[in-house]
Amino acid sequence: MSSRKKVLLKVIILGDSGVGKTSLMNQYVNKKFSASYKATIGADFLTKEVLVDDRLVTMQIWDTAGQERFQSLGVAFYRGADCCVLVYDVNNQKSFETLDSWRDEFLIQASPRDADSFPFVVIGNKIDVGDNKRLVPQKRAMAFCQSKGNLPYFETSAKEAINVEQAFEVIARHALAQEEAEEYTGDFGSSTIVDIGADSGDDGCAC
Amino acid sequence: MPEEYTPPASPTASFYDLSEDDEEYSTITHTSTGRGVKLLYTKSKVYVHPTPSAKDNIPGFIALMQQKPPTSVAADPSDPVNPSNLLLAWLPESAIGTAYDTYVKVDLLDTGTPPKQTYLVPPPPISSGSSPLGSYSFSIPVSQIYSLLVRPPSLGWWWGSIVINSRGGDSFPALFFHDSECASTIAQSKARTKKNFDPFGESGELFWGGDEVLRWLKRFVKVERSQVEKTVYLIDPSKDDLLSFGQRPVIDSTAGKNRDAAAANASGSGDFAAAVMDPFTKVIKSARWSLLEQFAKVTQFSRQTATNMLDNPNLPPQVRKLLKNPDVVSLQDDFDSARLYLARWAMGIAEQSERERAKIVWKREDMMEMEDSAVGEFEILDIEAGNIRGDGDRRRVVDLKEWNSWWNKSTGRLEITADEVKERIFHGGCEPAVRKEAWLFLLEVYPWDSTKDERAALMNSRRDEYVRLKGKWWDDVSRREGEGEAGEYWRDQKNRIEKDVHRTDRNIPIFAGEDTPHPDPDSQYSTIGTNVHLEQMKDMLLTYNEYNTTLGYVQGMSDLLAPIYAVFQDDAVAFWAFVGFMERMERNFLRDQSGMRAQLVTLDQLVQLMDPVLWKHLEKAESTNFFFFFRMILVWYKREFEWDDVLRLWEGLWTNYLSGQFHLFVALAVLERHRAVIMDHLQHFDEVLKYINELSGTIELNSTLIRAEALFYKFQRTIEASDRRHGFPSPGTARPMVRLTHRRTDSSTATTSSTTATANKGKAVDKGDGPEITDQLREMLSRDYVRVEKKPEDEEGKGKTPARE
Repeated sequence: MSSRKKVLLKVIILGDSGVGKTSLMNQYVNKKFSASYKATIGADFLTKEVLVDDRLVTMQIWDTAGQERFQSLGVAFYRGADCCVLVYDVNNQKSFETLDSWRDEFLIQASPRDADSFPFVVIGNKIDVGDNKRLVPQKRAMAFCQSKGNLPYFETSAKEAINVEQAFEVIARHALAQEEAEEYTGDFGSSTIVDIGADSGDDGCAC
Repeated sequence: MPEEYTPPASPTASFYDLSEDDEEYSTITHTSTGRGVKLLYTKSKVYVHPTPSAKDNIPGFIALMQQKPPTSVAADPSDPVNPSNLLLAWLPESAIGTAYDTYVKVDLLDTGTPPKQTYLVPPPPISSGSSPLGSYSFSIPVSQIYSLLVRPPSLGWWWGSIVINSRGGDSFPALFFHDSECASTIAQSKARTKKNFDPFGESGELFWGGDEVLRWLKRFVKVERSQVEKTVYLIDPSKDDLLSFGQRPVIDSTAGKNRDAAAANASGSGDFAAAVMDPFTKVIKSARWSLLEQFAKVTQFSRQTATNMLDNPNLPPQVRKLLKNPDVVSLQDDFDSARLYLARWAMGIAEQSERERAKIVWKREDMMEMEDSAVGEFEILDIEAGNIRGDGDRRRVVDLKEWNSWWNKSTGRLEITADEVKERIFHGGCEPAVRKEAWLFLLEVYPWDSTKDERAALMNSRRDEYVRLKGKWWDDVSRREGEGEAGEYWRDQKNRIEKDVHRTDRNIPIFAGEDTPHPDPDSQYSTIGTNVHLEQMKDMLLTYNEYNTTLGYVQGMSDLLAPIYAVFQDDAVAFWAFVGFMERMERNFLRDQSGMRAQLVTLDQLVQLMDPVLWKHLEKAESTNFFFFFRMILVWYKREFEWDDVLRLWEGLWTNYLSGQFHLFVALAVLERHRAVIMDHLQHFDEVLKYINELSGTIELNSTLIRAEALFYKFQRTIEASDRRHGFPSPGTARPMVRLTHRRTDSSTATTSSTTATANKGKAVDKGDGPEITDQLREMLSRDYVRVEKKPEDEEGKGKTPARE
């Protein structure tokens, strides 16, 4: 049905509100940072063409609202994701602690065929703020990533463009690998028609 | 008479002889042909992208050249250059040969001053334009350029581009300005920054290569930016256009080789000729509602008959042609962003052509045709010139004088009906000075039948109550210290609120400042600073949690509060107005999102009913979740319109004048506006979402409101007609409905059943079955808005810490 011959890699950015999801995306795609982004409402995406090992691919990077309450609508755009980026703010303890539930939520809603092998990348953002404000030690973050199956981990500053490019290069690589793996196993998940009411069961009530 | 199409002046006899040196400045010669044209301006690294693959991109030069006037014309050096002697050309680097150095030199000249030398280069090939993507290099006399579609670099589209459309209806391939590679653009951009500390171009946007091209052209011809579609620049628009359409340039129908001239003449002799020839906006403003409704219907009709944009005879030929080009078609298939780009671009053209269409829409045949069509359901109203009147007055803004005239001077009691006031505000909106009072009625702080004294007393008690509510957290030291579950929850709420308030409408002056030191040294914003209004916003939102103990702060609420606070600039007054607003908005923020779902489902049904063809398309595109309206519905278009428009929109919606859910008709109006593009170009959920998201900042409020109102009337009559047919009311019948989902029912089953139900709907209308009207649809006829039912078990979140919120 789709005539898109090009490789399209779908990447979902998740994490608490205010950790810098929109900023990371804009820094990577547009090489811009603005202090005046508004809180994201709903979802949006940007695309960027990149070369991964000489293959030209289009990354479609989805930025979502950070407030958990809105995640129940996520199924509309999680579907078909090739990689999920979990972002926290290194100066905000709570945003780190919720990473796990973001991951779970994603796996439930996107329901990839093989949850264990689905690629996640973890980003600790806002390292520019300064060491005295930092609340999540690097060691702790790395331990978390290790325990979740050696997830790639990056510390970035979307504001000062530190490590953003590197992180997304790895994200692209993982997404491409995932996309290729999916090609062998066919489309993942059921062919559920996305419906806004279909998941009204127990979404937000994990709270 | 409209300007006739004139064939391009023959270029053959009009080259400068390279050996000829009749200029007062020296002439550089370069070629062996002995003939050439003056290279006035050029810019390097302008690419044609023939395929989606970057490696196929062809670098070249865009150039403005001057050919020698035909010898029959007496050369008067003081005469401005005749545009027919100017050529705009694009040449691939590979085709330039020995003249390459000259091009590079001219590219790097300072374009701010007239050239001191004449640079002659070989004449470019004159392209017929018949195979624009075939031979790539082209040139066109400037007099033959009809318009330029100019798209500066922007988010997600990192090269600016220009597409040249000829008067003959041809489009040349899009030229992409790779500014980062172009030495002259880099230099000009730097110089600009240095000189003015302003890196922005004339349009206020970031300077880019395309600005220069416009500047070149402006030296010789009139370049008129379309007021309607900002990406379209008309070159030397005809006088007729400017006369007929005031300051609003439109696509000249002569561009279509006079195909509409006859029609225009025919309608010109009709009764409503005057209205037809008037600017579109004037028609809209002065027309009666019945007329407008008719107009919306006819527009709708002519759109439906066009199976797609490519075959739409009203589409300017250059667009049709370009979209049909096989290269472009494959480009669209391969390349999402290209398709979106084209879609948006085509919309720009469609926008213009709609004006053009307005001329012929009023033909009697159309009216006859409509009666036979699916919309024959509706009575066709008389359209007479005499009917066009009176509406201009209704759409006048309510000023303080008018507002005050409605109230008894001594008692302060309303002397007209509340409905009359609402009608005026719904149609006209309020002058800023009126808002401070009117909003308190619209937001149900003051009863409409109150006296001045009663209101004063009421406000006093509301002020006390605000202080009391605020005191509940303000004085609760243990909570503020974060002690216990309640304290943790409160701190979490405070952090959320603070985070959002600091990124809400900071472009509005009262929220912009950061000069006050932050009162809380532990705050994440303690190093940045704040201002008194931001602090008030935070306090009000925290206090709202004391008023509504079950909801908790949810993103979007700060967006709703900001305009209210900005109007009153008094925390207690703004708080109670906000409470009134939240009465109707609360359902948007429920934990289970049931209120948002319900509205998206209602919108889904509304589109099914009103435009089943579009709905089918959206269904195919897996977009009937209508998620792309999420943002618009959640914060009532706050992110789509500029500040002033938001205020105007909201006060209209608050009146409930036609429907308590008029905001969904606004959504339908937005959708209908972009119907053709969606149908033709957007085939996937992501494309639809992106397209709709990017409408932000481009939607014209007034025409949207008019369209929404017309759609409401049409909706109302659809339901009435259906009821008549079914002998409604027949409460409790077992008649199957499109969707008998109740707000909280699982709609997954409803979706499946509705799919079959609606599949037949288009025909059902003709067969006389009529559309099925759901409860949700019927509810939209009500002037009550939907409130969250307060249930005792709605206790979640109260005073405790939800696991993840």
